[in-house]
Amino acid sequence: MDVSDILASQAAKHKSVTVEKDIPLEVDTGFLTVTDLNPIDKESYECAHTVIHSLDTPNPKVPVKTSKNTFSPPRATACKSSSPPSSRSQPNPHPTAPIAQLPTPTTLLPRQKPLPKPKPPTKWEQFARAKGISHKKKDKKEWDEEKQDWVNRWGWGGKNKQVEAQWLTEVPANADIEHDPSKEARDARRTRVAKNEKQHMQNLARAQGPGDRHTPKQENERTLATTRISTASMGKFDKKLEGEKKLRGMKRKFDPAETSVESEKKSNLALLGKLDGESKRPRKAGGGDDTLNVRKAVRFASKGQGGVSLARKAGGASGGQKGRGKR
Amino acid sequence: MLRVVKPKNARSKRAMEAREPKEVEDARTAIFVKGTHTGEVVTKVMKELMSLKRPDAISFSKKNPVRPFEDASSLEFWAAKNDASFFIVGQSTKKRPNGMTFVRTFDGKVLDMCEVGVDKFVSMTEFKTPKAAPGHKPLMHFASELFDTHPRFIQLKSMLMDLFNGEVLEQIHLAGLEHVISVTLGPTPPSLNVATADADSTKDLPPVHIRAYTTRLLASGVRIPRVELTPMGPSLDLTLRRHQAADPEMWKLAMKRPKLRKQDVEKGLGKKRKNLAVDEMGDLRGRVHVAKQDLSRLQTRKMKGLKKGFGEEEGDESAGEEEGEEDANPKRKRVKSG
Repeated sequence: MDVSDILASQAAKHKSVTVEKDIPLEVDTGFLTVTDLNPIDKESYECAHTVIHSLDTPNPKVPVKTSKNTFSPPRATACKSSSPPSSRSQPNPHPTAPIAQLPTPTTLLPRQKPLPKPKPPTKWEQFARAKGISHKKKDKKEWDEEKQDWVNRWGWGGKNKQVEAQWLTEVPANADIEHDPSKEARDARRTRVAKNEKQHMQNLARAQGPGDRHTPKQENERTLATTRISTASMGKFDKKLEGEKKLRGMKRKFDPAETSVESEKKSNLALLGKLDGESKRPRKAGGGDDTLNVRKAVRFASKGQGGVSLARKAGGASGGQKGRGKR
Repeated sequence: MLRVVKPKNARSKRAMEAREPKEVEDARTAIFVKGTHTGEVVTKVMKELMSLKRPDAISFSKKNPVRPFEDASSLEFWAAKNDASFFIVGQSTKKRPNGMTFVRTFDGKVLDMCEVGVDKFVSMTEFKTPKAAPGHKPLMHFASELFDTHPRFIQLKSMLMDLFNGEVLEQIHLAGLEHVISVTLGPTPPSLNVATADADSTKDLPPVHIRAYTTRLLASGVRIPRVELTPMGPSLDLTLRRHQAADPEMWKLAMKRPKLRKQDVEKGLGKKRKNLAVDEMGDLRGRVHVAKQDLSRLQTRKMKGLKKGFGEEEGDESAGEEEGEEDANPKRKRVKSG
């Protein structure tokens, strides 16, 4: 029996799925993109442009990308990626169609944001790496034999609260009279949480780096230096202890001799502004004349005794004699 | 700039963590911004491009005095505020009618920009054909040699790919592939074939035709279906106008790739997978190479006749039955021979 006729008629029914191109198409299966680098033919372009929707030819033909790099008819307009091995082993939400595994894209597109910075390792991670301990992630759920169900390891109804929540607890024979097993379990859990929190904070501090933090010794020295100059004489007449080191204070800093015109102008103007502001400032009552500070003059004349005693002295020439006369 | 806020509750903390840089990034969120005057055509074009871009699209429907090429500060502000990294700004002026600007950002700063003018636009509604479902990944097709040679078109291709297809996926449901976005250029003018083509002049650049089609899969008699395309719309004819190329330093930062992890390399992402093939039934077949085995030391069934030095000692004296007896009493054998 000759079936070649039947086969030929069957083949004639189907249109071909391959396309011939001078330059093979560049296919980026990862991004589902095809680039046809063949130059656009001017004649067919202009011909297509006369059709109503410019390039929307009534029946544009589609090249089909396959694993064997074959393409269907010319005047390329699209690509179809069905090449990658469709996975049958993986669970498929829609059993009607296969899921295609996509390779990593070959086209490089710029990122939206910079690469994430690696997190600094915690103390435990450092230790684990040094010892070669591989991290085993704990499941959030844990199997409960009594309930015959999965329960939370921590959190709501967590297994770590089992002892403190149970209604009956065995008490050892030599237990204290105030022994409260649920409180004990609760305290133990609280301590573990607090310890973890403390370690977390330490990790954060370590991750931040030494930075500007001072050691306790430095802080002590600084406090001591402050107290030494905190007397009325700024520490000048204080008793020196034996073996006490000389105070090493801040070094004087001078402005650079040569600065930019801008900054010099700015500082001078600030100085002038200050002077100007002082004249505008209202004088204190009793200040009186600009040229003579009366209060200061009175203090000077009375040798610090004040205006009343000066007046008494001035009038005291007669008064004093009176007094003497009394004697 | 925006304040750096510390999350006050777990929900806002999760939301902030979702915005942090990732190794494998999500699709770019695009913001469609109206300029001071947009015009009917650009408004429609932006609306339809947005329907192709959904769900990663945000519409700014009010007018905004924004000129990306002069001052991009408001774009950068919006990028930070909305966690978006792509902008399409529509602006129609007398000098540049029906203009659209594609702006891409990196790390909240403008990376590059490309302005196009819409010459012709056919809406989706004018094609009485089935449309693709929103959110489905399009296939993309670029046709012209200029997409490989001319800097303006390389940038345009990169931008359009980033807009519609920039997400890296591991696997895809094949039934969801239902539309094609095709970008075709006009015939290359002879002046552009010269290697000394100036990237800045837009004089001779061919028009860009963007078309969208839905696919129909037909039986082809073989495993690969024949794909027929039906125009879906929108259809756009664009001309390139101003552009701003990316700053080389910034571009370099944006093109940095994460280091492949060990398990990824083992999975085959980093290198070619050797000795694995998919057969016609779609099953994964592996080839295993085994070194030549040393058969000389192979342990076969133990028999007296195969023992070392058996033939020399006994000669042809013993028959089969006697062998059996002697096996039971090896001591006697030694006496005999001695």
